[in-house]
Amino acid sequence: MNLAQLDRRWIFAIIALSVALPLMFPIGLTGEVSPGTRTFHTLIENLGPEDVIIVSFDCDASSWPEIGPVATVLLRHVLERGVKVVGTSFLSEGTALGYDLLATLEAEVGGEYGGDWVYLGFRPQYVATMLALGEDMQSEYPRDYLGQSTRDLPLLQSVKSYRQIRLVISIADDTMPQYWIEYAGARYGVAIAAGLSAVMVTTFTPYLDSGQLKSILAGLKGAAEYEIMRGERGAGLRGMDAQSSAHLAIIILVLVGNIAYFMKRKDT
Amino acid sequence: MTPTGIWLSAIGTLAIFSFLYKDNPLYRATEQILVGLSVGYLIVMTFQSTLIPRVVEPVQNLEAWGFVSAIWVLLMWTRLSAKYNYISRWPLAIIVGAGAGLSIPAMLKARIITQLGATIRPDITIDVIIGAVGVISTLSYFYFTRPRTGLFRVASKLGTLYLMVFFGATFGYTIMSRLSLLIGRTEFLLGSWLGIL
Repeated sequence: MNLAQLDRRWIFAIIALSVALPLMFPIGLTGEVSPGTRTFHTLIENLGPEDVIIVSFDCDASSWPEIGPVATVLLRHVLERGVKVVGTSFLSEGTALGYDLLATLEAEVGGEYGGDWVYLGFRPQYVATMLALGEDMQSEYPRDYLGQSTRDLPLLQSVKSYRQIRLVISIADDTMPQYWIEYAGARYGVAIAAGLSAVMVTTFTPYLDSGQLKSILAGLKGAAEYEIMRGERGAGLRGMDAQSSAHLAIIILVLVGNIAYFMKRKDT
Repeated sequence: MTPTGIWLSAIGTLAIFSFLYKDNPLYRATEQILVGLSVGYLIVMTFQSTLIPRVVEPVQNLEAWGFVSAIWVLLMWTRLSAKYNYISRWPLAIIVGAGAGLSIPAMLKARIITQLGATIRPDITIDVIIGAVGVISTLSYFYFTRPRTGLFRVASKLGTLYLMVFFGATFGYTIMSRLSLLIGRTEFLLGSWLGIL
């Protein structure tokens, strides 16, 4: 049989099975916690009830299956520490997802809207908004996501700009953390961290090395490592069996494909 | 998620996955629905979160800055007129000018000056050496106005190797990322929809 002529739908079927079967019959693979994940964990451990952070949901709905587990495990840790959260979003589809997640997790820990957390919602002009947040938060957002006046929200009586913000966490599937670094980090000196989709890791690692990003937590693997540190079993760890078997299937397919290619070239 | 939401989501996911078998009308219809929904949602969100609180309400409250904003918004609409569309360039010129003015210093500081400082540091470790050699050799690969001979040729070849490592790492992370999405949807189909997980 000539492998070069193999119908690519067989490859799709192999990948589908390599993902579905481990989900149906879990083995319980975990892996080791990387130093980067430990750094992020320590960063959150150093926050307390007196601290306020911005969490920005800079992601699309299409990447939520990957970024959702990252956001969930991170924010659960943040909220259990009693940290106050100001939620924002610079991509429209991430706005409702972010609000739903924050509302669900705040309900778990008994957080009160307005006092423990607020959600400012979506803004399309992210550069102007990031800069304006450094001057006057309430002028930039006269109303929150729910349509309430931000002047009436107790949390925003004491939080006026980045001066009262300990950390910004951008939950992102694209390059938005770069703008947070440039306009909030470099200009106003705010600490920036990011929960990323795995595909963005190579883009942001140089910023980690230079200290412009305090930490990154990326992809399902990052979520699984954080869940190990927290001693909980969420979507990250549940997906590790499937991720490992699919990676193995791809490695085998790459090897078989290359062997077939070289054999064919040798024959011709 | 409500049962209706779960069913709609499952049908949408399967319709998109059906492209893997072959292109079909159900896939194309779902794709168009997704595009339409995304654009419609963006327009509504922008209107509700920006135009109403920043333009409509200030004008209703007779605030001066509200009228300034409203005038610039209206000037953008002159683009629809063949005779007066040149006026729409004025607000665009402000956007471009202010945008460039704001972003150039910020980008220079964050992307170049600070990153350069982190590349060549006084505390020389193996990591610093590997990083600095990588930056210099990769930059030499992109220096096109000199023949690649001698040491310059060696440096640019080394730069190619660094680039290959970067591409390989990025490709690996891309596969990991895309598989995570597939795992998420498969878990939804098998768990939330079919209830077999």
